Amino acid sequence: MFWILAAVMTVAVTISLLVPLMRPRKKDIDAREFDVEVYSDQLREIERDIKIGSLSGQEAEYARAEVGRRLIKASKAEADHTAASTGLTRFGRLAVIVFLPFMALAGYLAVGQPGMPAQPLATRVAPVPDSNSNIQVLVAQAEKHLASNPQDGKGWDVLAPIYLGLNRMHDSETAYRNAIRLLGSTAARQAGLGQSLFSQSGGIVTAEVQEAFQKAQDLQPDNPLSAYFLALGLAQEGKNEQARADFVKLAENSPPDAAWMPLVREHIQRLGTQAGMDQLQAEAAPPPVDVPAVDGPAVDAPGPSAEDVAAASQMSNEERLDMIAGMVAGLDAKLRENPDDSTGWLRLIRSHMVLGQRDQAGDALSRALDHFGADNADRQALLAMASQLGLEPKELKQ
Amino acid sequence: MIVELGHYALIMALATALLQSVLPIIGARTRDAGLMGVAPAAAIASFVLILFAFVALTVSYVTSDFSVKNVWENSHSMMPMIYKFSGVWGNHEGSMMLWLLILVFFSALVAFFGGNLPATLKSNVLAVQAWITSAFLTFVLLTSNPFQRLSPAPLEGRDLNPILQDIGLAIHPPMLYLGYVGFSICFSFAVAALIDGRIDAAWARWVRPWTLAAWTALTAGIAMGSYWAYYELGWGGWWFWDPVENASFMPWLAGTALLHSALVMEKREALKIWTILLAIMTFSLSLLGTFLVRSGVLTSVHAFATDPTRGIFILCILVAFIGGAFALFALRAQTLSPGGLFAPISREGALVLNNLFLTTATATVLVGTLYPLVLEAITGAKISVGPPFFNLTFGPLMIPLLLAVPFGPLLAWKRGDLWAVTQRLYMAAGVALLVSLAVIYFATGAPVMAGLGIGLGVWLIAGSLTDIAMRSGVGKVALPIMWRRFKGLPRSAFGGALAHMGLGVSVIGIVAVTAFATESVVTMKPGETTVGGPFTLQFEGLKPNTGPNYTELQGRFVISRDGQPVSHLTAAKRVFTARQMPTTEAGIYTNGANQLYVALGDELPGGGVVVRVWWKPWVTFIWFGAIFMSLGGIVSLFDRRLRIGAPAKSRAPAVAVGQET
Repeated sequence: MFWILAAVMTVAVTISLLVPLMRPRKKDIDAREFDVEVYSDQLREIERDIKIGSLSGQEAEYARAEVGRRLIKASKAEADHTAASTGLTRFGRLAVIVFLPFMALAGYLAVGQPGMPAQPLATRVAPVPDSNSNIQVLVAQAEKHLASNPQDGKGWDVLAPIYLGLNRMHDSETAYRNAIRLLGSTAARQAGLGQSLFSQSGGIVTAEVQEAFQKAQDLQPDNPLSAYFLALGLAQEGKNEQARADFVKLAENSPPDAAWMPLVREHIQRLGTQAGMDQLQAEAAPPPVDVPAVDGPAVDAPGPSAEDVAAASQMSNEERLDMIAGMVAGLDAKLRENPDDSTGWLRLIRSHMVLGQRDQAGDALSRALDHFGADNADRQALLAMASQLGLEPKELKQ
Repeated sequence: MIVELGHYALIMALATALLQSVLPIIGARTRDAGLMGVAPAAAIASFVLILFAFVALTVSYVTSDFSVKNVWENSHSMMPMIYKFSGVWGNHEGSMMLWLLILVFFSALVAFFGGNLPATLKSNVLAVQAWITSAFLTFVLLTSNPFQRLSPAPLEGRDLNPILQDIGLAIHPPMLYLGYVGFSICFSFAVAALIDGRIDAAWARWVRPWTLAAWTALTAGIAMGSYWAYYELGWGGWWFWDPVENASFMPWLAGTALLHSALVMEKREALKIWTILLAIMTFSLSLLGTFLVRSGVLTSVHAFATDPTRGIFILCILVAFIGGAFALFALRAQTLSPGGLFAPISREGALVLNNLFLTTATATVLVGTLYPLVLEAITGAKISVGPPFFNLTFGPLMIPLLLAVPFGPLLAWKRGDLWAVTQRLYMAAGVALLVSLAVIYFATGAPVMAGLGIGLGVWLIAGSLTDIAMRSGVGKVALPIMWRRFKGLPRSAFGGALAHMGLGVSVIGIVAVTAFATESVVTMKPGETTVGGPFTLQFEGLKPNTGPNYTELQGRFVISRDGQPVSHLTAAKRVFTARQMPTTEAGIYTNGANQLYVALGDELPGGGVVVRVWWKPWVTFIWFGAIFMSLGGIVSLFDRRLRIGAPAKSRAPAVAVGQET
């Protein structure tokens, strides 16, 4: 069917182009007649103006004389006739007949998909279930159901962990929040919320993440997931002793062959031997068990030098934090002098967030946004990170 | 199947356009009537084919056919029907289709109504149009094909950019494209004249209505875009000198110059070569605008998905057409016979002055737009040329131009009497001066410049009225004759006066908003009040609400004046579910020409919310002025005097050239 209609279209267009080539206009028009016509028209216009009085006496005479001169010149010009038909017309016919169908067909076969039917949504049959698309269909159906029944807490509760598995973190956050709102708080829901928030913040245990896991732990004190994230949060805050103690406790309470044990052991070892420096550079430790990998906004930061780390390992906790604060302040000062360094800004805002200085992070963000004007890629990057960290810029132009 | 047929039709259109690019040119050189006859047939065929392809794409959008990649990327089954429809051009590929559709529509109009054009001119014009069509069709098919398919088809689309889900999308792009692409006709006429080596008398009569139609649409399109950005983006401004805005403003400035020089050319056969140059420049600037917003050079809502190959492709088209046209101009301009002569003080002289100022202003905007881009490309340094640059350069250029506007229409053709015109304008000057003084006196704390600025707007309006009054013979002839003369005035006289008045209205709006607008940012809790201009706003609180494809938080305000409630408004923060993208819906209360503009900011813990309140006196004048200008354009278009009959068809009724647009 497609090819029949395509053929009809091709023939129709070819014929419409051939018609002028087969029967060239009989009547021969001299090109200068067009000029004469225009000038005669202008003369009539002048007469009309005189009649209504908007052109008077001498002005009218001048105008009439001028157009008259042009008219005479035009009618004296060489005649410019067009030939009815020449040998070139035959070339034209050939060009149309050969080129048009050939080009259209070749072009279409190169890029088109002739067998493919249109698939309006309303007429779509259920797709063949392979496992992945099956989940997608189920999710789509559940979404449709929830869009019309947003108060169905059970639906949100079922959907939330599926979103988490599909790595749709924002959606899973919404779903968990709705489930908690409608069905009440449970350890599993709070922990799930914590995980989606953690993934969105790019691997940082923010205050929000901590709150969620804290609630989960209050509801179910022996939940290893919340214990792990709360300990990670402590480590990111630089409270290494406490973090280490919590990890040790988690290890003691877990069966030795639990899936998360290798990670926990690694943390314990690191916190035991190494300064908190590295944690403050906010590495996103891969979360345990079934939490999907996180694509946080990666920022390659020139980290502290080897000497710095060596020095830091000799320090006490307070001294170490002082040193870090000093480095952050240094970065801040550098950005005041050279505000074009967009990676620097990202690093500064992140450092503030890791240190728990939310206000300073917000200030830095506003300053950075002020510096980068509208329609700027750096600005976009800043905004993207800000929204992932849950920071609201103070003012937004567009 | 309709999708694939649309795809086939698009490729067929390219084949047709390529034939139309070559055969008529050969025909015009050899005076072969058969080959020249291909031009109109092919133009109409291309139009039908591209229309079919466009309809096929639209059907895919309306039926949510997500097997079409373009539909999947930019639509969603839950979207209201109007946005499914206007969403066709709310993306890169679809908007190029609209661009093409308008282009071939105009070619078809030339083919259909061009019976009164000399055959060689008509063939050359249509061939040049076909060059443009072929170039952009190739571009669409190779880099931005809207008919790419997906298999298996996804179940749900990715949704249209929420900022574009607005009635503005149904109006702004089509109007803007009518303008941009309308100038392509002027360009084709200019290049055709250069190819032919002569300018027929019919040339000017055709170019002026096309310029006028394109200019009218562009004016309306820019004004609509400005108002859309004003109410949608929630930052309360109406013009930002953003490169994207400048990209549309430059063709407008050049087009305005072209409009005026085409006038001289039609009436006086003067400024022929200059008009051709302007026609080339105007369309070149339209192409430049397309390049700037599509290539990814700028980041903006207009850029859609950026792809470097597209940028390079458009750059090639740009270089080929602009370079080619200017090279042709350099080669052939001297073969054209120059036009008539005139004294410096004359209507022609005034229009030359207008052209000088407008082209200089265009150059200023061009420099301000391109300099940061060039600098970044060369040195990597990022600078931003903002409003200060334009206020310092563009502003001073406009003031003398605006002062001179009322003189132009009153001067006589060929040789005028400046002193006599000045005497006729004393009333207008007096009124303008009085208004200036009144503004300075009554508006406490108003800068003196604001008073003078508003006076300038009044001067433009009064000057236009003077023009109409003088042409009707006010003070010279008896009342009945005056009335008869008034009625007999050509519509173009009214159109011109209306457009100049609109300019004055816009100037008043711009000056008033700049000088008298107030802005405040406050934190409000339910029940608290704040002041905007003469009104008091009481915040009633935030309330969640669900739209078809978004959820929003509405803030409701009661507006009262002197303790009496007069109205209420609702501002909202929306989140579109599919893209999880937040937008701001400003709440606007219009009172006369003034507007109270409220945008919601962040929510604060404890039930408070940051609220931005602008009081914008006379702000709607800015867009009303533009509407007046467009109306002026339309009135001029319907001027009966644009009629010319074809010599071959003297029996048939003459076709009104202006009416087909």
